[in-house]
Amino acid sequence: MTSLKELQESFQRGILAGDDTILSEIKDSPKEKRKVLFGVYRNAYVARLAEVLADDYEQVHAYLGDAGFAKLAKSYIAAHPSNRRSARDFGRHVPNFLKTDPAFAAHAEVAEIAALEKALADAFDGPEAEPLSLAALAEVAPELWTKLVFTPHPTALRVTFATNAADLWSALRDESPPPPPRRLPEPQAILVWRQDVTARFKPLGPEEEMMWDEAAAGTRFGVLCEMVATYGGEDDADFRAASYLKDWVDMGSLAGFRLAS
Amino acid sequence: MSNKPPFLGFGLGLRPQHYSEILEGSPQVDWFEVISENYMIEGGQPLRMLDRICERYPVVMHGVSLSIASTAPLDREYLARLKKLAERVNSVWISDHLCWTGVHGVNLHDLLPVPYTKEALDHVVDRVSRVQDILGRRLTLENVSSYVTFGQSEMTEWEFVSEVANRADCWLLFDVNNVYVSAFNHGFSADDFLNGVPRDRVVQFHVAGHSHEETHLIDTHDHPVCDEVWDFYRDAVANFGPVSTMIERDDNIPPLAELVDELDHARSIAREVLGAPRLAAAE
Repeated sequence: MTSLKELQESFQRGILAGDDTILSEIKDSPKEKRKVLFGVYRNAYVARLAEVLADDYEQVHAYLGDAGFAKLAKSYIAAHPSNRRSARDFGRHVPNFLKTDPAFAAHAEVAEIAALEKALADAFDGPEAEPLSLAALAEVAPELWTKLVFTPHPTALRVTFATNAADLWSALRDESPPPPPRRLPEPQAILVWRQDVTARFKPLGPEEEMMWDEAAAGTRFGVLCEMVATYGGEDDADFRAASYLKDWVDMGSLAGFRLAS
Repeated sequence: MSNKPPFLGFGLGLRPQHYSEILEGSPQVDWFEVISENYMIEGGQPLRMLDRICERYPVVMHGVSLSIASTAPLDREYLARLKKLAERVNSVWISDHLCWTGVHGVNLHDLLPVPYTKEALDHVVDRVSRVQDILGRRLTLENVSSYVTFGQSEMTEWEFVSEVANRADCWLLFDVNNVYVSAFNHGFSADDFLNGVPRDRVVQFHVAGHSHEETHLIDTHDHPVCDEVWDFYRDAVANFGPVSTMIERDDNIPPLAELVDELDHARSIAREVLGAPRLAAAE
């Protein structure tokens, strides 16, 4: 008798690879042939995972249309058998798959729309942390501000796009006709995070991008102000740095601070 | 039977579409069942909503990835997360399916059938015992809908299910629709199944809809419960007595009010079969 282990391996190959060896272990039912009955499992596997992908990548689906998305789902499912307990994680390789798969690689905006959707989904159910409040900052004595080191909210994530994927995503989400895809003259920095229960993103200008990345890396506020001055000119540099900081606090993209020694 | 979970009454599966209706209204739902894996996450709205619902309703966890019958090693990290979630929601019991979901690290995200052999029985009994030791409590296992019969099976499904429950000392979730679907697909008598499982092990009923494919039925949970399944539910209530009942809908999810109506139908059947005093006493 085939062992339980061999039977399960054969059953799994039957689903993943279309191998019919398992059929010799299965009986016809009173009303149906075994191949049709086993086909219920084969069909369900692809259909279920395609549905997971369509839920997770709603705007990629809208952008590619049903036929294009079905093609993506079919090839992704074949290339990436699920290896996580939760179907929530099944589509995590989609952005990278779109970047490298010959059928999609020439359209860089598709992988970037997917990357934005994935970042938003990760922020949506990412870790909890109380956002930093202006009141907490106000308690810091002015002479200590140069020593402030900020902690990003644990859901905060930075992505950089070569295309207008963020605009495409917004148009698709609003069910407006998307603008033509295009490569941007300069890469665009995007900050993704969760504010209360809503996952959000914000495109960052070059100076704010520089300051966010430095702040997230642990650079103290005094040095951040000097870097802003070097980057965009000394006039109003402290004001600009303080404005970026206030925006981040208002947005809830920071979780706290410490004082550098 | 020691420490048998309480009769919770009539519940629904918690679905994100209904969060605000549940919290803003007071739907006639006695308890909620949550899909465990959907809340094994770090934070955000789903967990916050779950915490708020747990303040108002008893909650029961129902998993889809335990893979208790798999020959792959037990996933201890998954079990640790399951246990942590159960503590968070104060889960009245923890259920999953008597099935396997994959081997060699793959998850096929389906409830795959087991051959009803002595080898599979020993294997499952051992795994259930080990999982119960890790979780520090009894598991509740559900019979699945199945579409194929293995030539090597040595016993009926209900004999297999009963042996697992008795030998591993676990509870059973009697899925009324799954018994109906499998009976149709394999040509056995649903009543034989009903009469074949130990009454004192059954702590929950699932009632759901399915799709009819002429030669076979598929357990899709995307339709209202059909009359035949309601009739079988009536038989199940008569056989098992007051058992916590839940309407399971996973696709084509209707407004909450529609599911509450279906739940009322289950309530009225239980009241008819058992009599209002017996049902009230169980509550």
